[in-house]
Amino acid sequence: MNSIRRKILTFTTIVIVIMSIIWIALTFYNYKTQVKYNDILNRYLILSDVSRSSNQVITDLNNYMNQSTPENFQKLESSKKVLESARYEVFKVRNEVNDFTLTNYIHLMGSLIETTDRLMGLERDSEAAVKDLAETARIGNYISDMTLTLIDMELKTHEPFYRGIMEQSIELVKLAIWMILLTSLLLLLATYWFSLSITRPVQQLTKAASELAKGKFDNEISVKSNDEIAFLAKTFDHMRTNIINLIQQIKEKAKLEHELQQNKILLQESHFRSLQSQMNPHFLFNTLNTLSKKAYLEGSEEISDLLVSVADLLRYNLKQIDRSVTLRDELIVVNQYMQIQQARFTDRLQLKLDIDDSCLDVAIPALTLQPIIENAVIHAIEPNINGGIIAIQVKDLTEYVLVQIEDDGIGMSEEVITQILMERQVQTAGHSTGIGFSNVVKRLRLFYERDDVIHIESSLGSGTAVLLQIPKQRGEIHD
Amino acid sequence: MKKYMYTILGLVFVSLCYLIFVSANIVFSNDIALPKAKKQTDSRYRLVLITRDMDTTFWNKVGMGASRQAVKEGASLEIWGSYSNNSEQFLKKLELAIHSKVDGIIIQGLDTDEFKELTKVKAAFNGIPIITVANDVPMKESLRRTYVGSDQFRAGGLIARQLLNEMGTEGNVVLLSDEQKEYYQNERLKGIYATLKVYPNIKVQYAETAESKDQVITTMRDQLNQMPDVDAFIAVNANMIGPMVQEIGKRSQVEPYFIYTFDDGPESLPLFEEGKIDGVVEQDPETMGEVSVQQLVKWLNGETVPLDINGYFTKIRILKDNRNE
Repeated sequence: MNSIRRKILTFTTIVIVIMSIIWIALTFYNYKTQVKYNDILNRYLILSDVSRSSNQVITDLNNYMNQSTPENFQKLESSKKVLESARYEVFKVRNEVNDFTLTNYIHLMGSLIETTDRLMGLERDSEAAVKDLAETARIGNYISDMTLTLIDMELKTHEPFYRGIMEQSIELVKLAIWMILLTSLLLLLATYWFSLSITRPVQQLTKAASELAKGKFDNEISVKSNDEIAFLAKTFDHMRTNIINLIQQIKEKAKLEHELQQNKILLQESHFRSLQSQMNPHFLFNTLNTLSKKAYLEGSEEISDLLVSVADLLRYNLKQIDRSVTLRDELIVVNQYMQIQQARFTDRLQLKLDIDDSCLDVAIPALTLQPIIENAVIHAIEPNINGGIIAIQVKDLTEYVLVQIEDDGIGMSEEVITQILMERQVQTAGHSTGIGFSNVVKRLRLFYERDDVIHIESSLGSGTAVLLQIPKQRGEIHD
Repeated sequence: MKKYMYTILGLVFVSLCYLIFVSANIVFSNDIALPKAKKQTDSRYRLVLITRDMDTTFWNKVGMGASRQAVKEGASLEIWGSYSNNSEQFLKKLELAIHSKVDGIIIQGLDTDEFKELTKVKAAFNGIPIITVANDVPMKESLRRTYVGSDQFRAGGLIARQLLNEMGTEGNVVLLSDEQKEYYQNERLKGIYATLKVYPNIKVQYAETAESKDQVITTMRDQLNQMPDVDAFIAVNANMIGPMVQEIGKRSQVEPYFIYTFDDGPESLPLFEEGKIDGVVEQDPETMGEVSVQQLVKWLNGETVPLDINGYFTKIRILKDNRNE
């Protein structure tokens, strides 16, 4: 992830490569021209060499003819050798244009050497010698002339080349200018794009950062590049989402706290209400006692008893709520309740008790049976003009005590039973006793910590049986 | 705005690329072809054609024929020479050719001692064959291998006969010749005399002059003074026809005179075209060139040894001026 560095390196490399290519091309061109140029120059030198060495031969020959000293002879020999080697060199100059002339040239040198050789064999002052000496001089002149001719020829031959070189050198300057312009243009553009590729992501990032600073966390930070900035942006974006999450969490926490606050307020309210509701029953209870005394004093003993039962029921209700009691206590309460109900229904309500006394010590939540009985009274007795029978059975079934409350009313539908057992409130016409039944189920299950503690057997029109299976163990431990 | 920028940048880029392409093409083009270097000369024979009258129509034609034949034979041929009959330069070229050891020399003959010395002694000493062309020199004096060109004796006869045809067998004729008395001119003269001598009524006046223009004019003046009733002129040396016609023109009309010459002078044919000359002996210079090269190569190859001493004659014909008829 060092792509900015890579970018810079690539950029520099490209620049260097371009420069190198230009440099190499120009050097190559220079070298080529130089080689050609040297080649041509060399030709001139070879030709002028011939002229010079042939002149030297003639000079030495003259000297030798004037003074035939060994020293002069030596000189002549050596200059002849120089001419020979120059003659050999001349072969290099041969080309298609100067072929004929060059051959003549070479032969001329041959003639010069031959004549010289011949002359050296002759007597100094003989007529032939004088003639030959003159001839060597003429040949020398011919060689010089021909050298000029050849050089002229060379010039003519190479004229297009020289003109080409001149044209090329002018063009080279132009080429250099165009190259510089083009390279500058390209470099400027490349630099512009290159810097843009670095600064644009930075700008994007800066913009995103300032938006974040303003508190806008919704916009996604995206930087389209493949360098460190993109990495930075990605990290930044990650941070943004984290912040969003944190804010979300804080909001939820605040909401929860708010709800908790509300609940606390509600709890306090309900507490207050319950306290208040406790006040009323005591007041009611005392009033009932007073009423009972009054009824007794006025001779209505039955009403007095009823009022006592109601008061007892009320007291039990007030005292024992949220506490476990024995089945015996519960049955007493049921009894009292039934006395009250019988005062209402008289003969229509019949209560059958079949109780195994040995089982009466099991623990049971307070006010468990009463709501069930009440339910039975409401659903079985009340609607029926002929009344009905409520049978309560308590049986010892070794492991648990079975309490069966049976009526011969209209029965319950499966649906209602299911709803009751699911501890839901059952809406029944006119009464809201469904709440009571559901509460009973709930409390029983909580108390015994098992679900199968209550069963309801019923079908429409054939009465209802509520079966409570009260474990013995539980009761003993809790009491 | 951005679009404009891009367009401009694109244009600049493209034009720069184009300019670079053009310049680079010129700079790096290798089309300056230098002549190919050679190790050995590949033509079999190196021949030289030497003349004293470079760049005249006649000798250009000889050169053309010779070059063409040389290409055919695979020999290389160079044409050397001097201008305006400069003998000194001409002889220098001959000597140069001998010292250069060319394989053969085709040369316009020059009837001087120096020339003969060079051909007879130097060339023969170096074993270089010499063929004279157009203008011959005697074989014995020059040791030339052969001669290629017109039969000058016959050419003289031809011109004399034409004179007889037009002028009739009676009249005065001025023959203008060269002081140098070159062999070919002598032949022409011989031819003319041989034809004319049978007509006693034709009076021939022979004049010699140097070749320079002033000399020719002076001589012509003398001749015209000496023989006012002259009827015809023959320029044996064709180079003299120009000043001759000029001098005649100064005196009177050129038309009445019968003027004849040969075609190897630079002014012969133009004057004939103008109608100032009545007849020109036309030779065949191209064939001369061709045959000379051909014979020389034959000799060098050893196919025809020796060559015909008398020479190989090329065609001649007389050009007549038909306007008078």
